[in-house]
Formats: sequence, structure tokens, C-alpha cells
Amino acid sequence: MNALAASAAWLQPALVVAVAFRVAAGEADAPWLALAALVTPLVALLASGRSSSRNPVVAIVAAVAVTLLLAADFLVAADVATLLGASRWHGVALAAVSALAVAAWAPARRVSPWALAVAAAVLLLVPAAVALAAGAMPWSAWHRSGVRGALTFSQASAWVVGGERFARATTLRFAEGQRVIALAPGVYRVVERDAATPTVREWRLAAGEALTLRPGDELTVEAGARVRFEAGRRVPGAPASGITWADAPARGPRMLPAALGAVVTLLGGALALVPQARRGRVAVAGPVVLLAVMMAALAWGVYAAAVPDLVLAGAWPAPLLRLPALALGPAAGLPLAALSGLALVVMLATAALALRERLARASSPAPELWVAAIVTATALAVSSFDPWAVLTLALGLAAAAWAPARLAPSAAGAIAGPVVGGVTFATLAALPILASSPPAWLEALARYPALVAMPLGWLAARLMPPGGLGVAEA
Amino acid sequence: MSGPRGRRIGIAALLVLLVIAPLLALAPVAPGAVRIAGVSVLWWYVGFAAPLAATALATFLLAHDAE
Repeated sequence: MNALAASAAWLQPALVVAVAFRVAAGEADAPWLALAALVTPLVALLASGRSSSRNPVVAIVAAVAVTLLLAADFLVAADVATLLGASRWHGVALAAVSALAVAAWAPARRVSPWALAVAAAVLLLVPAAVALAAGAMPWSAWHRSGVRGALTFSQASAWVVGGERFARATTLRFAEGQRVIALAPGVYRVVERDAATPTVREWRLAAGEALTLRPGDELTVEAGARVRFEAGRRVPGAPASGITWADAPARGPRMLPAALGAVVTLLGGALALVPQARRGRVAVAGPVVLLAVMMAALAWGVYAAAVPDLVLAGAWPAPLLRLPALALGPAAGLPLAALSGLALVVMLATAALALRERLARASSPAPELWVAAIVTATALAVSSFDPWAVLTLALGLAAAAWAPARLAPSAAGAIAGPVVGGVTFATLAALPILASSPPAWLEALARYPALVAMPLGWLAARLMPPGGLGVAEA
Repeated sequence: MSGPRGRRIGIAALLVLLVIAPLLALAPVAPGAVRIAGVSVLWWYVGFAAPLAATALATFLLAHDAE
């Protein structure tokens, strides 16, 4: 397989928009996630491994991991639908139909690598246009965002003018007083923290009714809730200032286990999803396209950070779909936003095709299995799960119980590694159910179980003697 | 640098490039927060230096390794 085709399974729309979103939001882990999203597939392209690691354990794990990856992509499609004012299921259904259709279309496999390269070029187009229009390269934009004072709603903000919808249930923390107007009927839960014991109030508001929140209050809104905020007030949940966006205060040595967990999760996920590439001059296309897509995602995130309320709705594709019109005006911005949306659809199609091939190699080429994966992913995506949780669960499972099969020296190791990795992963992932308030390091393990599960799976795969379980080579 | 040994060294170099990012960000004296030309060292590293170095290294190994 050439490097570009091998990279397609990695370049999921969910991963690309996650990087842009987390950079724009000033998430503490954004820097190393962005770098890991580029470097880990490069490692996978170079790493050697077993040409065939099909066995019953890997077959089950691959089916579950691919289903979860598709679900993360479909959740992004649901967010796109929310941003366009449609129902979530419209986006999910369209994404599911695209994933089904592309697998059934015979020439798709031949066209896919080039389509992915064109989509990568399109994703670079908008940051380039914003750089030209604003006269600011991404590093200048980063500097400007990093020296801002309070991050507030502007007079022209969509949240102020006509109100916006939340893509999923969210809890907002208010640093200063704010009058929030509900534009859709619903239940609004407020936690008041001005006394020693927090007071919880639930308000059933009709459209047009207002809630007055004080500094320290928390407001929980349902998925799809539509509200309006006051101009000039701090954006709830946004970093306190530009400095806080640039240098997240959460960063510190205590965050190291979670950081390593994220890196190991992405590394193992890449080893499972991205096969070793054929060498030669044509192979350079893979790393170049990976670089282009991840640089585009970083640039989108940096430019989107200038509009702090862009990520408030929790809709991952908001930086890609809303930034062009805000930065370039509706005349130039809306066509570019549509083009970016189209690039995401193409990436969904190429990723789905690549995932279908990975599933066929690891599990079964039966079309029924692909249909079952899409139907299950569709059912998952209709609920408003957090796409980041679904994506890291998929990559973590692949890292713990699929990657060890690739690294195993024998067929017996290719079963032992996934079994040990998978059992460890499931045990650690269940920790939050067993312990209500675990210490920080245990919390990191529960968030990224692959941090321990993948090395254990790899060790089991390496240490298992050939024929140890009496299994013939595949 | 080609063949399995070159590839192993390349993979190790890529992993080192990757692990430097969280270390820069999370080290006790926050070396990643130091500004150069208005941008933090951490972001110069993850947005410029490391991606270019990693891509150049992987491209070289993929293009020249005849296996």
C-alpha cells in the first residue's frame, strides 16, 4: 500500500477538527495532541510488523474500534448539521449514507488517494486566505490572541445578535454577571456557589425568558438549547485572558501522566490503523499530505482563537465552518466555508474507505460487517456523546488490543498481546465506575487506559513463545 | 542511512521529537512558555520545528529505503 493510501485511515474528519477545536479553545493538551496527530502516523508508516495478524481477538477489537471511529466522524457530521440549523440526525444520516456508498463504488479505491490530497490542499486554502486578508501569518495571529485582555462577546457576535444553539449538553461557568435569554423552551439548571453549600435551582423557561447569573454560578444547558448573551461580557468557559489561552494554567508536572497517556493512545492507534507503506519516491506524498492537513488544522485553530465564542457551542467543526465568513466577510467567506465542508466530506469518504480495508484485513471482508459497523455507529452518533471521548476510546482500544498484534513476532503473540492489552484496557476504563474520586494519576489512567494497556499488550506479544498457544501462523 | 537499522533510528528520532513537546510544556520552570518573536517556544516547536523535522525525516526514510 502506498503511503498516501495508508494515511487515509488516520486522517479522519474527527481528528482534524478536534485539533483545530482544541487549539482554538486553548485546551492545555492541544500542543502535544497536534504534534502527536502528525508524528504518530509517520512512525506507523515506517514501523515494520506482521503482514497478517488476523485472529478472532483482533477481528472483534478491529470491528469495535472501527465502529467507534465511524461514530466519532458521524458525531462531527451531527455537529455540522447543528451549525447549519438542521437536526443532528440529518448530518448523521448523510454521513452514514456517504460511508456506505463509497464502499460500494468500485473506482473509489483508485481515486481516493488523490481526492485526499486535494482535500488537504483545500483545507490549507482558508488559512492562506485569512493570512492574506488579515495581513497576519499564523504566528502573528497567535501573538495577538496571546496578548488579549478579557475574552468577551463582541457586539456582532452571533450569540449576541440572534442567539446560537449548543451542540450538546454543556455546563458553563460564569466569571462575571451575565443575563442569559432563553430562545427555546427548556430546563436550565443553575448551581449558585455564593454560599458554603452550593444551591441548585432548575428553571423551566419559555422562549424569551431571561436568567440572571452571578459570578461563580454554573449553568447547565441541554443539547440543542438556544440562548442569547450580553455583548461586552466574558465568554463563559473561555480562558480568562489571552495569556491564559496561550499558557494554560493547568499545564504542570501533574499533567504528565495524562500527556503521556494521550501520546501513547495516538501512537498505538496509528500503529493499528496505518499500515507500513511501500518505499520509493511516490511514498513522499503520505508524509507531505499528513503535514499539510495537520498544519491546516493548527492554523484554523490559531485564527479561530481570535473569536473566543466560536467554540462555545461545543460544535467541533465551528472553527472550519464559521471562521471564513467572520474573517473574510460573507461574500468570500461562505463559498470558502462550503468548500471546507466539502473537503471534510471527501476526507470522511477516504477515511471510510481506508477503514473498510483495515476491517476487511483484520476481521472479515463481508459487506454485512461493514453495514453493521455503520448502523451501530449511526445509532451511537444520534445520541450527543462527546466526540473526543468516543475518538480516544476508539484509538485507545486499537492501541491496547490491535497494535500489539502488528508488533507480535509470532501468531501466538498476536493473540496473547491483544488479550492482555484488551483486558487491561477494559479494567482501567471501568475505574471511574469503581472509584468515585480517584487520585490524579489514576484519573489519567482511566482517561487514557492505553498508557498501561498498550505496553502490557506489547510485552505479552513479545514474550509469548512461538506456538505457545498452539496456533498456526496466519 | 537506509535499511531496517536506519528505519529503527528514524522511528526513535520521531519518538524523541514527539516526547519533547509535553516535556517542554510541563517541566517545572515552564521552558515552553518563553517567548521568541512573540510566540512561545512550545508553539514554535509543535507548530513549526518538530513537524518540519519529523516530515523531512520520514520522507527521507520512505523515499530512500529500498528495504
